[in-house]
Amino acid sequence: MLTCWNQKRTRRSSGWLVMLALFGGIVFTGIASAQLYLPPPPPANAADYGKVVMDNFSTTLGPGPAVFDHWLHRSKYTCRLCHVDIGFAMQAKATGVRASTNREGYHCGACHDGKRLSDGKPIFAACSDAVNDKQCDRCHSVGKKDVRKYSYSSYTAKLPKGLYGVDWEAAEKNGTIKPVDFLPGISLKKSTMKSREDFSIKAGLPWVHPVTFSHEKHAIWNGCELCHPEIFATTSKAEAKYTMFSNIEGHHCGACHLRVAFPLNNCVKCHQRAPSWAKGN
Amino acid sequence: MSRKLFVASILFLIFCGQSILLAQSGTKKRRPLPYEYGRVVINNYSAKADLSPVVFEHWIHRSKFTCRVCHVDIGFAMKANGTDIKAIDNTQGYYCGTCHNGKTLADEKSGKAIFAACSKRVTAEDGRRCERCHSQGKKVASDYDFFHFAKPLPKENYGNGIDWEKSEELGLIKPVAHIDGVSSPRNPLALQKDFALNPKVEGMPDIIFSHKKHTVWNGCELCHPEIFTGVKKGTSHYTMVDISQGKSCGACHTNVAFPLTDCQRCHSKPVAAMR
Amino acid sequence: MFKRTIVTALLITGLAGLSGICASGQSTSAVLQATPAPQTWQSEFDEVCSKTQDAMTFSEEELAALIVRCDVLLPQLEKLDETRRKVYTARLRMCRGLYAYVLESKKNAKK
Repeated sequence: MLTCWNQKRTRRSSGWLVMLALFGGIVFTGIASAQLYLPPPPPANAADYGKVVMDNFSTTLGPGPAVFDHWLHRSKYTCRLCHVDIGFAMQAKATGVRASTNREGYHCGACHDGKRLSDGKPIFAACSDAVNDKQCDRCHSVGKKDVRKYSYSSYTAKLPKGLYGVDWEAAEKNGTIKPVDFLPGISLKKSTMKSREDFSIKAGLPWVHPVTFSHEKHAIWNGCELCHPEIFATTSKAEAKYTMFSNIEGHHCGACHLRVAFPLNNCVKCHQRAPSWAKGN
Repeated sequence: MSRKLFVASILFLIFCGQSILLAQSGTKKRRPLPYEYGRVVINNYSAKADLSPVVFEHWIHRSKFTCRVCHVDIGFAMKANGTDIKAIDNTQGYYCGTCHNGKTLADEKSGKAIFAACSKRVTAEDGRRCERCHSQGKKVASDYDFFHFAKPLPKENYGNGIDWEKSEELGLIKPVAHIDGVSSPRNPLALQKDFALNPKVEGMPDIIFSHKKHTVWNGCELCHPEIFTGVKKGTSHYTMVDISQGKSCGACHTNVAFPLTDCQRCHSKPVAAMR
Repeated sequence: MFKRTIVTALLITGLAGLSGICASGQSTSAVLQATPAPQTWQSEFDEVCSKTQDAMTFSEEELAALIVRCDVLLPQLEKLDETRRKVYTARLRMCRGLYAYVLESKKNAKK
């Protein structure tokens, strides 16, 4: 039987329940947000930064997963060449590279055809049918020792270093590397478009310093088509909603700045006037 | 008591849900290989009929016919599975069956007839004919080899790697614009002048739109009013976001005509080059 | 007597007219319903929708008349078998749509 006293108690305890739920929600959101807001730290060994393991068909068909090192290729070619002209996707396994299409001169086979020259020497053919060509392990190198020709430490010894790994921007600026942006037979010469002036992007939170974005610095590596319109669709500042959430999920800036270009947790590189302690690890 | 618990749970979920953001676009997908670009997979009824989905290649067909012949005169939709093609439609001489009827000649030189699409009675030999279209996931020999086809044609960077516009201008391909018995006899179109569209983005060259270049392939009704509805000049706003989602220009220029990565094809008003 | 004569004369004239029409090959029911025979929808469609290239040269009245003809044609097309209905209603939609579009553009250009 429900007396007055019983009723009061029920109301109070259900009120508590609501408060508890709210509090729990806030705490949970806080923990979840903390995980999401902070970019994951890059690999401890800078040699592993930009490493892409591809295994659509390699394990099932024998040779084992293929490993692609960005540091080796980006010292020679622009991002645009591979991701626009040749047409690689920007996520591991999304391209679906096959041995047959490599042999036909697509994807890896665009350069790795046994004929195209790099530094005066022909680049080894990818997935070659030739009986005496045992170059498979140079790419399909997971779990195998001493099969890759170039080592990160010796190759990047002379390149300027940043807070983390190679400072590619500086390397290109001072001419240490001269990335090629044109592949005869694949690229077509186009008239260049003028880059926009640098502009400021306000951060979503009022205490975070704004980002100064330079189209020119990005266009050197990417041209226009790498980013527009697939990665950055909108041209209206009002519509643009690029957040750290989406970056950390690998969208927008995170498409490159999560795993290949300088890592996201080097805050000062983009949020230029942020305090020096926000340099990241 | 349970009502308050329900409210509390909803509030809890709202607080949690707001921290999970669904990022929409923002990644670079794989670019289709030149021979894959323009591929349409059609599967309204194929699976139910125990056949592989149909794979339609635009590059073979657009070298022989204008866009209008198929999308206006024959009546194909511009989205995969949008036409609702059935085998019976084909056997009666509509849709694919307009040309794929076993009688129409593929070209006058060879005297070879275009294979018939679908049939009322299927024999064992027909199995191979069915697979010529119902080929998804199968390795099927085609009469047309992309490399040989594309070799003599002017090159473009993206899409099929073929400059279709130039190929047509130079007469290297002669797409048919009229099918007897299907197309309505039409007068040639009155000439429209090219005009500029200002993208209102600093540094971005104006778009020079040419009706002439488009009507060669499309006529009028393909675009107006279903794709371009605006009736008053200057009132329509086409954004790159909309276009990349398949609206307005994107109806064709995302997966059949030259893709959006080819910025300068549209943004072509000359400006001082920078780097 | 006179009335009877008139009525008889009218009946005979009517019958003569009907048989004349029968003789010319039209079905009686079609005449009574005032709907064109099945073949004419095709020729009407061809006639109306072959003018799309000239749409920009027509006056507003001409475009309005073409739109009306499309609207009259639509119910006839919807009576066809499934295949032809699918094909022709889609084609008519595009054809009528274009005329309406051009008409609207012309009206807006005047403003």
